[in-house]
Amino acid sequence: MGFVGEEDAIPDKWIPFRPIPVRFTLTQHLIRLFYNPDWNELLYINTCAERLFEGGDKFYIQEIANRLLHAIQCGEVVHTCDAKFMYFRIRATYSEDTVADQMGQITDEVFLQSHAYALNVAKVIS
Amino acid sequence: MTLELAVRVTEVLLGLALLQQSVEFLRGFGVEKKLALLRAPLAILLIAGVYPLWIASILLMTTFILITRFRGPYNGGSDTMSVLVLVCLWFTHIAPSLLWQEIAFGYLALQLTLSYFQSGLVKLENREWRSGKALREVFSFTAYPVSESLRNLALKPRLLLWASWIVIVGELIFPIALLHSVALTIALVFTATFHLANAILFGLNRFVWSWLAAYPAIIWFHHRLMDLL
Repeated sequence: MGFVGEEDAIPDKWIPFRPIPVRFTLTQHLIRLFYNPDWNELLYINTCAERLFEGGDKFYIQEIANRLLHAIQCGEVVHTCDAKFMYFRIRATYSEDTVADQMGQITDEVFLQSHAYALNVAKVIS
Repeated sequence: MTLELAVRVTEVLLGLALLQQSVEFLRGFGVEKKLALLRAPLAILLIAGVYPLWIASILLMTTFILITRFRGPYNGGSDTMSVLVLVCLWFTHIAPSLLWQEIAFGYLALQLTLSYFQSGLVKLENREWRSGKALREVFSFTAYPVSESLRNLALKPRLLLWASWIVIVGELIFPIALLHSVALTIALVFTATFHLANAILFGLNRFVWSWLAAYPAIIWFHHRLMDLL
């Protein structure tokens, strides 16, 4: 995710949405077995991204945007006071084809960058 | 296990799975949150065994709304299994005779068996799975490991090769377990452990509850099969 003050500006910093922690404790694993909404939402966002790789339409972009905007509204994602717009981008990480038992060169590239979403009028579309 | 008991236990387990899903949706927003407010009490009524046909019918309708809303399942295979269990339960309740009840409920057992077998077959046909590379890639760079420390498993190719083959063989021989009660017990413990591992490693917690809900059907089916043989 990236934040800017002007709609046409380019974010100078990108932050990952819900980065994974270093490790979980046994108690956290047990809780997540029964209640894990954030991770399941992240899995859904991944599914939307996969649909976009397969040529899916803007429904999936909007689904991702809605969830990111909701996280901002809830205070989960913190941005600077002068930020008025949010961008997001999707990175694709894959390994190049090689022989079956060896890992290929891992490539990480930006697959898609969204348009700007205004934060002050951010109303999540259901 | 009698059909009646198996259906009742399935209702309880499915109710718990749907309740778990609904409580997670309450954390969200939009249509899914509104539907969760309806589905959570319905799931409790299903657990309690109150008007199961009517409750299953309304749950089925809300399920179709959710599938339409997300253009498919929200949570992949776990939602698909929940829907399958719900549909089979519903058909079991509306079936006009014992034979049709058994066909509806038996379909769930067969579908579960085929799901494991087909999954094992697909992995067996895949060179990356046979060499352990598929799991190495999963841990190395995909979005599925739930913590950074788990990525270190990608550095243990021998362990992942063993894990790959244990999963492949376990899934492929699952149908054979239907022919012996001890084998079935071992197979169900194996698959439940597999789902639990997926929940811990990849955060696929909903799979555990959805797939467990189908286990009474397979236990009943095994007993029915033994009666016929």
